[in-house]
Amino acid sequence: MKQHLYIEMDNCIGCRSCLAACTQCGGHDERNRNYVYDVNPLVDRQTIPLMCLHCVNPACARSCPAQAIQVTEEGAVLSALVEKCIGCQNCTIACPYGIPKFDEEQNLMYKCDLCYDRTKEGIPPMCASVCPTNTLQWLTEEELAAKKAQHQMGKWTASRDFLDPLEGETNVKISLPGIIQGKQKLFV
Amino acid sequence: MDRAFASKFAKSVFLTVCGLIVLMYIGSRFFTHVDLALYGYMVGTVVFICGFFYRFIAWGERPPTKIIIKKGIKLLFRKSTPKTSADHLVTYRFIWNRGWWRWLQHILLGWGCIISAMVTFPLVFGWMYFTMEDNGFYTVVGFGLDIMTIPADGFLAYLFFNALNISAFMVIGGVCMALYRRIKNMQAKAEQTFVYDFLPLYLLLFVSITGLLLTVSNMFLHGWGHPVMSLIHQWSVIMTLIYLPFGKLAHIPFRPLSVFARNYREHYGQQAMKPCSVCGTPFVSMEQSGDVVDVLKQNGMQFNMEDGFNLAELCLPCRRKYRLSRFTGIPTHTIPVKEANQNAKG
Repeated sequence: MKQHLYIEMDNCIGCRSCLAACTQCGGHDERNRNYVYDVNPLVDRQTIPLMCLHCVNPACARSCPAQAIQVTEEGAVLSALVEKCIGCQNCTIACPYGIPKFDEEQNLMYKCDLCYDRTKEGIPPMCASVCPTNTLQWLTEEELAAKKAQHQMGKWTASRDFLDPLEGETNVKISLPGIIQGKQKLFV
Repeated sequence: MDRAFASKFAKSVFLTVCGLIVLMYIGSRFFTHVDLALYGYMVGTVVFICGFFYRFIAWGERPPTKIIIKKGIKLLFRKSTPKTSADHLVTYRFIWNRGWWRWLQHILLGWGCIISAMVTFPLVFGWMYFTMEDNGFYTVVGFGLDIMTIPADGFLAYLFFNALNISAFMVIGGVCMALYRRIKNMQAKAEQTFVYDFLPLYLLLFVSITGLLLTVSNMFLHGWGHPVMSLIHQWSVIMTLIYLPFGKLAHIPFRPLSVFARNYREHYGQQAMKPCSVCGTPFVSMEQSGDVVDVLKQNGMQFNMEDGFNLAELCLPCRRKYRLSRFTGIPTHTIPVKEANQNAKG
Protein backbone atom coordinates (compact mmCIF):
# COMPACT_ATOMS: atom_id res chain seq x y z
CA MET A 1 0.00 0.00 0.00
CA LYS A 2 1.58 3.21 -1.10
CA GLN A 3 1.49 6.06 1.36
CA HIS A 4 2.39 9.71 0.99
CA LEU A 5 3.66 12.46 3.20
CA TYR A 6 1.08 15.23 3.00
CA ILE A 7 1.62 18.85 4.01
CA GLU A 8 -1.42 20.85 5.12
CA MET A 9 0.32 24.21 5.06
CA ASP A 10 -2.42 26.20 6.79
CA ASN A 11 -1.97 24.27 10.00
CA CYS A 12 1.68 25.03 10.74
CA ILE A 13 2.24 26.95 13.98
CA GLY A 14 6.04 27.05 13.72
CA CYS A 15 6.76 24.88 16.77
CA ARG A 16 9.61 23.15 14.94
CA SER A 17 8.80 19.77 16.44
CA CYS A 18 9.43 18.30 13.00
CA LEU A 19 13.00 19.63 13.04
CA ALA A 20 13.66 18.15 16.46
CA ALA A 21 12.04 14.84 15.53
CA CYS A 22 14.10 14.67 12.33
CA THR A 23 17.33 14.63 14.34
CA GLN A 24 16.12 11.54 16.19
CA CYS A 25 15.51 9.34 13.16
CA GLY A 26 17.79 6.31 13.05
CA GLY A 27 20.80 7.15 10.92
CA HIS A 28 20.07 10.86 10.75
CA ASP A 29 23.13 11.39 12.95
CA GLU A 30 21.28 13.94 15.07
CA ARG A 31 21.13 16.42 12.24
CA ASN A 32 17.80 17.63 10.90
CA ARG A 33 17.19 17.69 7.17
CA ASN A 34 14.00 19.76 7.03
CA TYR A 35 13.15 23.45 7.33
CA VAL A 36 10.45 25.70 8.75
CA TYR A 37 10.09 29.15 7.22
CA ASP A 38 8.29 32.33 8.17
CA VAL A 39 6.13 33.26 5.23
CA ASN A 40 5.99 37.00 5.85
CA PRO A 41 8.25 37.52 8.86
CA LEU A 42 7.84 41.30 9.32
CA VAL A 43 4.05 41.10 9.15
CA ASP A 44 2.66 37.93 10.70
CA ARG A 45 3.65 34.64 12.30
CA GLN A 46 2.52 32.20 9.63
CA THR A 47 5.07 29.47 9.03
CA ILE A 48 5.32 26.62 6.54
CA PRO A 49 7.49 23.50 6.80
CA LEU A 50 9.64 22.55 3.85
CA MET A 51 11.42 19.28 3.25
CA CYS A 52 12.44 17.13 0.34
CA LEU A 53 9.36 16.62 -1.82
CA HIS A 54 10.75 13.38 -3.26
CA CYS A 55 10.41 14.18 -6.94
CA VAL A 56 9.40 11.39 -9.28
CA ASN A 57 12.20 12.55 -11.59
CA PRO A 58 14.69 14.06 -9.14
CA ALA A 59 17.02 16.78 -10.45
CA CYS A 60 19.54 15.98 -7.71
CA ALA A 61 19.96 12.39 -8.90
CA ARG A 62 20.05 13.48 -12.54
CA SER A 63 22.88 15.91 -11.84
CA CYS A 64 24.94 13.48 -9.76
CA PRO A 65 28.10 12.42 -11.59
CA ALA A 66 28.56 9.40 -9.32
CA GLN A 67 25.04 7.95 -9.42
CA ALA A 68 25.10 8.25 -5.64
CA ILE A 69 21.48 9.32 -5.14
CA GLN A 70 19.17 6.33 -5.28
CA VAL A 71 15.38 6.29 -5.58
CA THR A 72 13.63 3.46 -3.73
CA GLU A 73 10.68 1.43 -4.99
CA GLU A 74 8.42 3.45 -2.71
CA GLY A 75 9.64 6.65 -4.37
CA ALA A 76 11.85 7.93 -1.55
CA VAL A 77 14.90 9.80 -2.83
CA LEU A 78 17.69 8.75 -0.47
CA SER A 79 20.75 10.59 0.80
CA ALA A 80 23.87 10.04 -1.26
CA LEU A 81 25.42 6.60 -0.90
CA VAL A 82 28.46 7.17 1.29
CA GLU A 83 30.87 5.20 -0.85
CA LYS A 84 29.78 6.86 -4.07
CA CYS A 85 29.34 10.54 -3.17
CA ILE A 86 32.39 12.39 -4.48
CA GLY A 87 31.47 15.70 -2.86
CA CYS A 88 30.92 17.83 -5.98
CA GLN A 89 27.69 19.36 -4.60
CA ASN A 90 25.96 19.35 -7.98
CA CYS A 91 22.82 18.11 -6.22
CA THR A 92 22.59 21.17 -3.99
CA ILE A 93 22.72 23.39 -7.06
CA ALA A 94 20.32 21.27 -9.09
CA CYS A 95 17.56 20.81 -6.51
CA PRO A 96 14.76 23.27 -7.42
CA TYR A 97 13.81 23.52 -3.74
CA GLY A 98 17.30 23.90 -2.23
CA ILE A 99 16.95 20.89 0.06
CA PRO A 100 20.19 18.83 0.10
CA LYS A 101 22.68 19.71 2.81
CA PHE A 102 26.41 19.19 2.51
CA ASP A 103 28.93 18.23 5.16
CA GLU A 104 32.34 19.63 4.19
CA GLU A 105 34.17 17.63 6.85
CA GLN A 106 32.71 14.29 5.81
CA ASN A 107 32.71 15.28 2.13
CA LEU A 108 29.18 13.96 1.94
CA MET A 109 25.72 15.14 0.96
CA TYR A 110 22.78 14.35 3.23
CA LYS A 111 19.10 15.04 2.83
CA CYS A 112 15.62 14.01 3.89
CA ASP A 113 15.23 10.32 3.11
CA LEU A 114 11.59 10.21 4.23
CA CYS A 115 12.85 8.25 7.28
CA TYR A 116 13.26 5.27 5.03
CA ASP A 117 13.82 2.88 7.92
CA ARG A 118 10.30 3.76 9.12
CA THR A 119 8.32 4.47 5.96
CA LYS A 120 9.36 1.27 4.21
CA GLU A 121 7.57 -0.53 7.05
CA GLY A 122 4.51 1.72 6.74
CA ILE A 123 5.39 3.76 9.85
CA PRO A 124 5.03 7.54 9.38
CA PRO A 125 8.25 9.55 9.07
CA MET A 126 9.46 11.22 12.29
CA CYS A 127 8.22 14.69 11.32
CA ALA A 128 4.70 13.45 10.60
CA SER A 129 4.55 11.37 13.78
CA VAL A 130 5.25 14.33 16.03
CA CYS A 131 3.47 17.18 14.26
CA PRO A 132 0.98 18.50 16.85
CA THR A 133 -1.28 20.29 14.37
CA ASN A 134 -1.55 17.68 11.61
CA THR A 135 0.39 19.88 9.24
CA LEU A 136 2.42 16.84 8.32
CA GLN A 137 0.39 13.70 7.74
CA TRP A 138 1.07 10.22 6.44
CA LEU A 139 -1.78 9.21 4.18
CA THR A 140 -2.86 6.33 2.01
CA GLU A 141 -3.94 6.97 -1.57
CA GLU A 142 -7.63 6.78 -0.56
CA GLU A 143 -7.24 9.24 2.30
CA LEU A 144 -5.41 11.54 -0.06
CA ALA A 145 -8.22 11.35 -2.61
CA ALA A 146 -10.76 12.09 0.14
CA LYS A 147 -8.77 15.20 1.16
CA LYS A 148 -8.66 16.44 -2.38
CA ALA A 149 -12.41 15.94 -2.83
CA GLN A 150 -13.03 17.83 0.40
CA HIS A 151 -11.16 20.88 -0.83
CA GLN A 152 -13.02 20.89 -4.11
CA MET A 153 -15.80 23.48 -4.10
CA GLY A 154 -17.55 23.00 -7.39
CA LYS A 155 -15.37 24.45 -10.06
CA TRP A 156 -12.93 26.01 -7.61
CA THR A 157 -10.65 24.57 -5.01
CA ALA A 158 -10.34 25.98 -1.53
CA SER A 159 -6.59 25.86 -1.88
CA ARG A 160 -4.75 28.30 -4.06
CA ASP A 161 -4.22 26.10 -7.05
CA PHE A 162 -4.23 28.30 -10.12
CA LEU A 163 -0.54 27.99 -10.86
CA ASP A 164 1.57 24.94 -10.43
CA PRO A 165 3.56 25.59 -7.28
CA LEU A 166 6.01 22.74 -7.89
CA GLU A 167 8.50 21.76 -10.56
CA GLY A 168 7.25 18.40 -11.75
CA GLU A 169 5.51 15.52 -10.03
CA THR A 170 6.44 14.74 -6.45
CA ASN A 171 5.74 11.88 -4.06
CA VAL A 172 5.12 14.27 -1.17
CA LYS A 173 1.72 15.87 -1.64
CA ILE A 174 0.92 19.41 -0.56
CA SER A 175 -2.16 21.42 0.22
CA LEU A 176 -1.53 25.11 -0.25
CA PRO A 177 -2.75 27.74 2.21
CA GLY A 178 -6.36 28.45 1.29
CA ILE A 179 -8.58 31.46 1.16
CA ILE A 180 -11.71 29.70 2.35
CA GLN A 181 -10.48 28.06 5.49
CA GLY A 182 -11.90 26.73 8.68
CA LYS A 183 -14.70 24.47 7.60
CA GLN A 184 -13.13 21.10 8.18
CA LYS A 185 -9.50 21.69 7.48
CA LEU A 186 -8.19 21.93 11.02
CA PHE A 187 -9.50 18.62 12.23
CA VAL A 188 -9.27 16.36 9.22
CA MET B 1 42.55 5.28 -35.75
CA ASP B 2 39.02 5.44 -34.37
CA ARG B 3 37.65 3.69 -37.43
CA ALA B 4 39.86 0.68 -36.79
CA PHE B 5 37.64 -0.34 -33.88
CA ALA B 6 33.98 -1.21 -33.67
CA SER B 7 33.51 0.85 -30.52
CA LYS B 8 35.20 2.86 -27.82
CA PHE B 9 34.88 -0.22 -25.63
CA ALA B 10 36.69 -2.46 -28.13
CA LYS B 11 39.45 0.10 -28.54
CA SER B 12 39.98 0.60 -24.80
CA VAL B 13 40.04 -3.11 -24.03
CA PHE B 14 42.35 -3.92 -26.95
CA LEU B 15 44.84 -1.19 -26.10
CA THR B 16 44.83 -2.02 -22.39
CA VAL B 17 45.36 -5.74 -22.95
CA CYS B 18 48.12 -4.99 -25.47
CA GLY B 19 49.75 -2.64 -22.95
CA LEU B 20 49.52 -5.35 -20.32
CA ILE B 21 51.18 -7.90 -22.61
CA VAL B 22 53.98 -5.45 -23.42
CA LEU B 23 54.50 -4.74 -19.71
CA MET B 24 54.54 -8.48 -19.05
CA TYR B 25 57.09 -8.98 -21.80
CA ILE B 26 59.42 -6.35 -20.36
CA GLY B 27 58.69 -7.02 -16.69
CA SER B 28 59.15 -10.77 -16.76
CA ARG B 29 62.48 -10.60 -18.61
CA PHE B 30 60.91 -11.50 -21.97
CA PHE B 31 58.40 -14.03 -20.63
CA THR B 32 61.11 -16.11 -18.96
CA HIS B 33 59.67 -15.72 -15.44
CA VAL B 34 55.92 -16.08 -15.81
CA ASP B 35 54.48 -18.27 -13.06
CA LEU B 36 52.03 -20.39 -15.01
CA ALA B 37 50.50 -21.77 -11.82
CA LEU B 38 48.85 -18.33 -11.65
CA TYR B 39 47.51 -18.20 -15.21
CA GLY B 40 43.92 -18.26 -13.93
CA TYR B 41 44.43 -14.85 -12.38
CA MET B 42 45.75 -13.63 -15.71
CA VAL B 43 42.58 -14.68 -17.50
CA GLY B 44 40.55 -13.22 -14.62
CA THR B 45 42.32 -9.89 -15.03
CA VAL B 46 41.46 -9.74 -18.72
CA VAL B 47 37.81 -10.47 -17.94
CA PHE B 48 37.97 -7.76 -15.27
CA ILE B 49 39.36 -5.28 -17.81
CA CYS B 50 36.42 -6.00 -20.13
CA GLY B 51 33.92 -5.53 -17.31
CA PHE B 52 35.63 -2.41 -16.05
CA PHE B 53 35.58 -0.65 -19.41
CA TYR B 54 32.00 -1.70 -20.07
CA ARG B 55 30.91 -0.18 -16.77
CA PHE B 56 33.21 2.83 -16.87
CA ILE B 57 32.31 3.88 -20.42
CA ALA B 58 28.57 3.52 -19.76
CA TRP B 59 28.98 5.59 -16.62
CA GLY B 60 31.21 8.20 -18.26
CA GLU B 61 28.54 8.83 -20.91
CA ARG B 62 26.18 10.36 -18.35
CA PRO B 63 26.21 14.14 -18.86
CA PRO B 64 27.32 15.15 -15.31
CA THR B 65 30.00 12.44 -15.19
CA LYS B 66 31.35 13.46 -18.57
CA ILE B 67 31.81 17.05 -17.40
CA ILE B 68 33.58 16.12 -14.17
CA ILE B 69 35.92 13.69 -15.94
CA LYS B 70 36.76 16.12 -18.72
CA LYS B 71 37.41 19.10 -16.46
CA GLY B 72 39.04 16.94 -13.80
CA ILE B 73 41.66 15.69 -16.23
CA LYS B 74 42.34 19.28 -17.31
CA LEU B 75 42.87 20.31 -13.68
CA LEU B 76 44.85 17.22 -12.69
CA PHE B 77 48.13 19.09 -12.27
CA ARG B 78 46.98 21.58 -9.68
CA LYS B 79 49.33 22.20 -6.80
CA SER B 80 46.85 20.78 -4.30
CA THR B 81 46.33 17.47 -6.12
CA PRO B 82 48.91 15.41 -4.16
CA LYS B 83 47.54 16.57 -0.82
CA THR B 84 43.90 16.04 -1.84
CA SER B 85 44.74 12.60 -3.24
CA ALA B 86 46.52 11.61 -0.03
CA ASP B 87 43.58 12.80 2.07
CA HIS B 88 40.97 11.09 -0.07
CA LEU B 89 42.68 7.94 -1.27
CA VAL B 90 45.41 7.11 1.25
CA THR B 91 44.42 8.29 4.73
CA TYR B 92 40.64 8.59 4.17
CA ARG B 93 40.42 11.71 6.34
CA PHE B 94 36.76 12.28 5.37
CA ILE B 95 35.88 8.84 6.71
CA TRP B 96 37.64 9.67 9.96
CA ASN B 97 35.21 12.57 10.25
CA ARG B 98 32.33 10.08 9.95
CA GLY B 99 33.60 8.17 13.00
CA TRP B 100 36.67 6.22 14.11
CA TRP B 101 34.95 2.84 13.75
CA ARG B 102 34.17 3.36 10.10
CA TRP B 103 37.62 4.77 9.50
CA LEU B 104 39.39 1.79 11.08
CA GLN B 105 37.10 -0.59 9.22
CA HIS B 106 37.85 1.14 5.94
CA ILE B 107 41.61 1.34 6.56
CA LEU B 108 41.69 -2.41 7.23
CA LEU B 109 39.50 -3.28 4.25
CA GLY B 110 40.94 -0.74 1.83
CA TRP B 111 44.59 -1.23 2.59
CA GLY B 112 44.17 -4.96 3.02
CA CYS B 113 42.82 -5.14 -0.52
CA ILE B 114 45.39 -2.73 -1.95
CA ILE B 115 48.32 -4.60 -0.38
CA SER B 116 47.04 -7.94 -1.65
CA ALA B 117 46.55 -6.53 -5.14
CA MET B 118 50.04 -5.02 -5.07
CA VAL B 119 51.51 -8.41 -4.18
CA THR B 120 49.31 -10.64 -6.31
CA PHE B 121 49.34 -8.90 -9.67
CA PRO B 122 53.11 -8.34 -9.91
CA LEU B 123 53.49 -12.05 -9.15
CA VAL B 124 50.89 -13.00 -11.77
CA PHE B 125 52.45 -10.93 -14.54
CA GLY B 126 56.02 -11.77 -13.64
CA TRP B 127 56.78 -8.22 -12.54
CA MET B 128 58.14 -9.46 -9.24
CA TYR B 129 59.92 -12.67 -8.38
CA PHE B 130 62.70 -13.98 -6.20
CA THR B 131 65.92 -15.65 -7.26
CA MET B 132 68.62 -17.20 -5.10
CA GLU B 133 72.19 -16.73 -6.28
CA ASP B 134 73.93 -17.29 -2.94
CA ASN B 135 72.62 -19.85 -0.58
CA GLY B 136 70.42 -18.26 2.08
CA PHE B 137 69.98 -14.95 0.23
CA TYR B 138 67.07 -14.00 -1.98
CA THR B 139 67.37 -11.43 -4.70
CA VAL B 140 64.14 -9.49 -5.16
CA VAL B 141 63.60 -8.83 -8.85
CA GLY B 142 61.14 -6.05 -9.62
CA PHE B 143 60.24 -5.38 -13.24
CA GLY B 144 63.31 -7.25 -14.46
CA LEU B 145 65.72 -5.28 -12.25
CA ASP B 146 67.53 -6.69 -9.26
CA ILE B 147 66.13 -4.49 -6.51
CA MET B 148 67.76 -5.87 -3.38
CA THR B 149 69.28 -8.93 -1.80
CA ILE B 150 67.84 -10.01 1.51
CA PRO B 151 68.66 -12.85 3.93
CA ALA B 152 66.06 -15.58 3.43
CA ASP B 153 65.35 -15.82 7.14
CA GLY B 154 65.44 -12.05 7.80
CA PHE B 155 62.62 -9.80 8.95
CA LEU B 156 62.12 -8.16 5.56
CA ALA B 157 61.86 -11.55 3.90
CA TYR B 158 59.34 -12.56 6.56
CA LEU B 159 57.23 -9.53 5.71
CA PHE B 160 57.48 -10.23 1.97
CA PHE B 161 56.49 -13.86 2.26
CA ASN B 162 53.67 -13.14 4.68
CA ALA B 163 52.33 -10.00 3.02
CA LEU B 164 49.24 -11.83 1.77
CA ASN B 165 48.65 -13.41 5.18
CA ILE B 166 48.87 -10.03 6.88
CA SER B 167 46.55 -8.42 4.35
CA ALA B 168 44.13 -11.34 4.70
CA PHE B 169 43.94 -10.73 8.44
CA MET B 170 43.40 -7.00 7.77
CA VAL B 171 40.55 -7.76 5.37
CA ILE B 172 38.95 -10.28 7.74
CA GLY B 173 39.10 -7.74 10.58
CA GLY B 174 37.60 -5.04 8.36
CA VAL B 175 34.85 -7.32 7.08
CA CYS B 176 33.91 -8.30 10.65
CA MET B 177 33.73 -4.64 11.66
CA ALA B 178 31.64 -3.83 8.59
CA LEU B 179 29.28 -6.75 9.24
CA TYR B 180 28.87 -5.67 12.86
CA ARG B 181 27.99 -2.14 11.72
CA ARG B 182 25.49 -3.50 9.21
CA ILE B 183 23.76 -5.41 12.01
CA LYS B 184 23.72 -2.50 14.47
CA ASN B 185 23.52 0.78 12.56
CA MET B 186 19.96 2.00 11.95
CA GLN B 187 20.64 3.80 8.68
CA ALA B 188 22.60 0.84 7.32
CA LYS B 189 19.84 -1.53 8.37
CA ALA B 190 17.21 0.54 6.60
CA GLU B 191 18.95 0.83 3.27
CA GLN B 192 21.07 -2.30 2.91
CA THR B 193 20.29 -5.12 0.53
CA PHE B 194 21.94 -8.52 0.39
CA VAL B 195 23.27 -8.22 -3.14
CA TYR B 196 24.60 -4.68 -2.86
CA ASP B 197 25.90 -4.50 0.71
CA PHE B 198 26.54 -8.01 1.99
CA LEU B 199 27.69 -9.90 -1.12
CA PRO B 200 30.94 -7.90 -1.52
CA LEU B 201 31.75 -8.42 2.17
CA TYR B 202 31.15 -12.16 1.91
CA LEU B 203 33.22 -12.32 -1.29
CA LEU B 204 36.15 -10.59 0.42
CA LEU B 205 35.77 -12.89 3.41
CA PHE B 206 35.72 -15.93 1.12
CA VAL B 207 38.86 -14.77 -0.69
CA SER B 208 40.72 -14.05 2.57
CA ILE B 209 39.77 -17.30 4.29
CA THR B 210 40.56 -19.55 1.34
CA GLY B 211 43.87 -17.69 0.97
CA LEU B 212 44.72 -18.21 4.62
CA LEU B 213 43.78 -21.89 4.36
CA LEU B 214 46.60 -22.24 1.82
CA THR B 215 49.01 -21.09 4.51
CA VAL B 216 47.40 -23.43 7.03
CA SER B 217 47.81 -26.29 4.58
CA ASN B 218 51.50 -25.44 4.11
CA MET B 219 52.36 -24.90 7.74
CA PHE B 220 50.36 -27.51 9.58
CA LEU B 221 49.13 -30.13 7.10
CA HIS B 222 52.28 -30.71 5.04
CA GLY B 223 50.51 -29.34 2.00
CA TRP B 224 47.48 -31.59 2.31
CA GLY B 225 44.62 -30.30 0.15
CA HIS B 226 46.77 -27.52 -1.27
CA PRO B 227 46.00 -28.16 -4.97
CA VAL B 228 42.25 -28.15 -4.39
CA MET B 229 42.32 -25.18 -2.05
CA SER B 230 44.48 -23.15 -4.45
CA LEU B 231 41.90 -23.74 -7.17
CA ILE B 232 39.06 -22.70 -4.85
CA HIS B 233 41.03 -19.59 -3.88
CA GLN B 234 41.75 -18.78 -7.49
CA TRP B 235 38.10 -19.21 -8.34
CA SER B 236 37.04 -16.91 -5.48
CA VAL B 237 39.45 -14.19 -6.60
CA ILE B 238 38.31 -14.42 -10.22
CA MET B 239 34.65 -14.21 -9.16
CA THR B 240 35.44 -11.12 -7.10
CA LEU B 241 37.31 -9.54 -10.01
CA ILE B 242 34.39 -10.17 -12.35
CA TYR B 243 31.96 -8.71 -9.80
CA LEU B 244 34.14 -5.73 -8.91
CA PRO B 245 33.11 -3.18 -11.59
CA PHE B 246 29.40 -3.78 -11.10
CA GLY B 247 28.58 -3.70 -7.43
CA LYS B 248 29.60 -1.78 -4.38
CA LEU B 249 33.29 -2.47 -4.97
CA ALA B 250 33.06 -0.34 -8.13
CA HIS B 251 33.81 2.61 -5.88
CA ILE B 252 37.44 1.44 -5.77
CA PRO B 253 38.24 2.32 -9.39
CA PHE B 254 35.79 5.26 -9.45
CA ARG B 255 36.75 6.96 -6.20
CA PRO B 256 39.66 9.01 -7.64
CA LEU B 257 36.90 11.14 -9.13
CA SER B 258 36.50 12.76 -5.71
CA VAL B 259 39.91 14.36 -6.30
CA PHE B 260 38.63 15.64 -9.64
CA ALA B 261 35.55 17.03 -7.91
CA ARG B 262 37.60 18.82 -5.25
CA ASN B 263 39.95 20.32 -7.86
CA TYR B 264 36.95 21.36 -9.93
CA ARG B 265 35.35 23.18 -7.02
CA GLU B 266 38.58 24.79 -5.82
CA HIS B 267 39.82 25.93 -9.22
CA TYR B 268 36.60 27.42 -10.53
CA GLY B 269 35.73 28.75 -7.08
CA GLN B 270 38.89 30.85 -7.18
CA GLN B 271 38.14 32.08 -10.68
CA ALA B 272 34.66 33.53 -10.28
CA MET B 273 31.82 32.99 -7.88
CA LYS B 274 28.20 33.25 -8.82
CA PRO B 275 26.18 35.76 -6.80
CA CYS B 276 22.67 34.73 -5.85
CA SER B 277 20.14 36.40 -8.17
CA VAL B 278 18.05 37.49 -5.20
CA CYS B 279 20.32 38.32 -2.26
CA GLY B 280 23.67 38.65 -4.06
CA THR B 281 25.59 36.23 -1.82
CA PRO B 282 28.21 34.25 -3.77
CA PHE B 283 27.39 30.58 -3.28
CA VAL B 284 28.93 28.49 -6.09
CA SER B 285 31.43 28.92 -8.91
CA MET B 286 30.15 30.38 -12.19
CA GLU B 287 31.44 27.30 -13.98
CA GLN B 288 29.59 24.78 -11.82
CA SER B 289 26.37 26.76 -11.91
CA GLY B 290 26.51 26.78 -15.70
CA ASP B 291 27.42 23.10 -15.85
CA VAL B 292 24.50 22.07 -13.65
CA VAL B 293 22.06 24.11 -15.73
CA ASP B 294 23.43 22.41 -18.88
CA VAL B 295 23.19 18.95 -17.35
CA LEU B 296 19.60 19.52 -16.28
CA LYS B 297 18.75 20.84 -19.73
CA GLN B 298 20.12 17.63 -21.26
CA ASN B 299 17.82 15.77 -18.88
CA GLY B 300 14.84 17.79 -20.05
CA MET B 301 14.67 19.95 -16.93
CA GLN B 302 14.78 23.70 -17.09
CA PHE B 303 13.93 25.66 -14.02
CA ASN B 304 13.59 29.06 -15.67
CA MET B 305 11.18 31.10 -13.57
CA GLU B 306 8.83 33.84 -14.70
CA ASP B 307 10.68 36.13 -12.30
CA GLY B 308 13.58 36.06 -14.76
CA PHE B 309 16.05 33.70 -13.14
CA ASN B 310 16.93 30.04 -13.22
CA LEU B 311 16.50 28.28 -9.91
CA ALA B 312 20.13 27.14 -10.03
CA GLU B 313 21.10 30.83 -9.78
CA LEU B 314 19.58 31.23 -6.33
CA CYS B 315 21.50 30.51 -3.15
CA LEU B 316 19.98 27.71 -1.11
CA PRO B 317 18.09 29.77 1.52
CA CYS B 318 16.69 32.05 -1.22
CA ARG B 319 15.67 29.04 -3.28
CA ARG B 320 13.74 27.62 -0.33
CA LYS B 321 12.09 30.97 0.40
CA TYR B 322 11.25 31.37 -3.26
CA ARG B 323 9.34 28.09 -3.03
CA LEU B 324 7.28 29.57 -0.19
CA SER B 325 6.48 32.49 -2.42
CA ARG B 326 5.15 30.03 -4.98
CA PHE B 327 3.04 28.40 -2.28
CA THR B 328 1.54 31.57 -0.85
CA GLY B 329 1.95 34.39 -3.33
CA ILE B 330 3.86 36.42 -0.73
CA PRO B 331 7.38 37.20 -2.01
CA THR B 332 9.16 35.69 1.00
CA HIS B 333 12.51 35.55 -0.81
CA THR B 334 12.65 39.33 -1.23
CA ILE B 335 11.98 40.07 2.46
CA PRO B 336 15.41 40.82 3.98
CA VAL B 337 15.08 38.62 7.05
CA LYS B 338 17.56 35.83 7.70
CA GLU B 339 16.20 32.30 8.02
CA ALA B 340 15.76 31.70 11.73
CA ASN B 341 16.04 28.63 13.92
CA GLN B 342 16.63 25.97 11.27
CA ASN B 343 18.95 23.67 13.17
CA ALA B 344 17.46 21.60 15.90
CA LYS B 345 19.98 20.29 18.39
CA GLY B 346 19.69 16.51 18.48
